[in-house]
Order: sequence, then structure tokens, then C-alpha cells
Amino acid sequence: MKTRIRSGVVLLLAALTLAGCGDDPGSDLPVNTRLGGDFTLTDHNGEPFRLSSLEDRVVILFFGYTHCPDICPAVLARVAQAYRNLDEQGDAGPVQPVFITFDPERDTPAHLREYLPWFKADIIGLTGSVAEIEAVAEQYGVVFLKTDGQDEAYDFTHSDYIYLLDRQGRVRKLYPADFDIDEVVNDVQSLL
Amino acid sequence: MMFKAFFKPAALAALLAAATSAAAADLEISGAWLRAVPPVSPTMAGYFEIRNRGDRVVKLEGADVAFAGGAMLHDSRTGEDGQRRMVHLDSVRLDPGDRVRFAPGGKHLMLMKLSQVPRAGESVEVCLTFANHDDLCTDFPVRHNAP
Repeated sequence: MKTRIRSGVVLLLAALTLAGCGDDPGSDLPVNTRLGGDFTLTDHNGEPFRLSSLEDRVVILFFGYTHCPDICPAVLARVAQAYRNLDEQGDAGPVQPVFITFDPERDTPAHLREYLPWFKADIIGLTGSVAEIEAVAEQYGVVFLKTDGQDEAYDFTHSDYIYLLDRQGRVRKLYPADFDIDEVVNDVQSLL
Repeated sequence: MMFKAFFKPAALAALLAAATSAAAADLEISGAWLRAVPPVSPTMAGYFEIRNRGDRVVKLEGADVAFAGGAMLHDSRTGEDGQRRMVHLDSVRLDPGDRVRFAPGGKHLMLMKLSQVPRAGESVEVCLTFANHDDLCTDFPVRHNAP
């Protein structure tokens, strides 16, 4: 297996190191000061997209790639379900799911534009150059390795946390890929 | 009375299970399904449980599916570092009595080069292929979530 490691490795301990408190009266989620930050990538319309342009929105941020058959579609479906549950409660307006691909070669803006609307969750798809995506991955402590496969196929070994960002763009919580949908809904609502 | 007994939940569950199971004399597949994905998706994953009721070792190697240009056995594994990786399995060995579960986040059948993507609610035939056994074909319903 040939691997390529370009993104910086931020240990899980660092990922889970928390400091400070939020200023949301309804939330007791601490602010993670080790991860996150603003970035600019290319959205599914081919336009530059800056995270901070989502000012005053709670963001559910996650990484993956559309050729991944098992984990990524399941995560997308769970995020979408959380969003729809919020929508049913009238709380989806200030919430924005954002998907960042590891695979800009195959996940072009055009492909993301066709792929993501199926989940019916107003998901913004982001891509960019490999270097740009690696830089964002490093900000968020995400590691991904491209692995060559058979028959011109390739996959990625990757971490698969989902990030909850508050209205100031600060990381407030990380979830595993099999997160509890109600937990995310409740956490999002605590930040609104 | 018999009518009521017939539709007891347990009996109904057994009927539903039978609807998505297939069996040769020695192999049994149950709980088969495909995860629904967008129509432009290049891949999709299949899940099932297979049981070897026979008295000899059987090796599962892959699948033939009319709408897929290829099918591979994969395993999603999580390392000690928390990284998720996909491992290609050349085959899955089933000793007599073995029961192996293909489930989200673990072993799965990866269908590639899809000529069409079946939609949720549809059922499609998947023929599992073996090194030393006849193909075993069954319908996989397409679903958004595990049954």
C-alpha cells in the first residue's frame, strides 16, 4: 500500500483538549481552542467559499469523499437526518451543514453539485487543491492518506469526526461517525 | 384464531426475514440490503449475513451484479490511532457452522462502476460468488437505513 501523508497530524488528545467557555447562555459546550479556524475553499458552484461568510450560523462540518461506499454515505445520511429533524422543529434556518472532500480529483464542483442535493439537507460541498484541503484538514486535526487500489481505484484512510461550530465559527464539540442524531440536534439547539 | 396466530409479530418478522433471504443446501444469506445513494454515486455498499450450514469450508470471493462493473469485499477498520481505513479482502473463509455479518462500519460488499443506481424501495438481484461453490443469488432491497 502506497501512502502519502501530507496533512499535519494533530493527536486526538489535542483534538479533545478543551479550553474556555462559550458565550451562549443556553449551552454548556466548552470552546475547543486547539482546533478550527477560518479557511477558504471552492464550493460546489465553483465559487470561492470562506467559512466566516457563514457568520451567525451554526455549522455541522465534516470530511469525506463520494467514492467511499460505506462510512461516508452513512455520515451524510445522519447529518442530513439531523438537519431535517431541526427543520421539522423550525430550527434549521441558522444551521449549515458543510462537507469537505478529501478527493478533489474526482469530487469536482460539478460532481458535488449533483451528488449532495439528494440528501435534502442544503449541504454546501467544498473542494479545492490538494494543498488547500490539507491545510484545512490540519486546522481541524483531520488526517487523510490516499491509498492506491486495484483497477485504477483508490481510497482514503481518514479520521471521520464531525465538528459542531458555533455562530462565531469556534469548534464546540466533536462527534464520532456513528453519532447520536438527537444529541447533535440538542447541541445545535443549545447554540442557537 | 389461526389467522391471528399467523400474523403475530414474530411470525410476521419471520416472513419478512424470509423475503430477503436465500439459501443453498449448505449456505444461507439473510438480512441483505443495499444502502441508498445519490443517482450519480459511483459506488454503493451491500450488507448481509451469511451462514455456512454445510460440512466443508467455503470461500466467498465477490459478487456478480448486472448494474455494477465490479464488486469487491471490503472491511472498514479503525486503527488504534482512530483512523478509518478500507481493507480489500480477497476472500472471506467460512468454516462449517460459521456465520459472518457484513454490516455498516465493518465488512461490506462494495459495488463499483455502476451503470445505474437503484433507488430506495427497489430490489435488485445480487449473486454472491465463491471459490468453491455455485453462485448464490438473492434480492437486495435498497434502503436508507439498516433493516
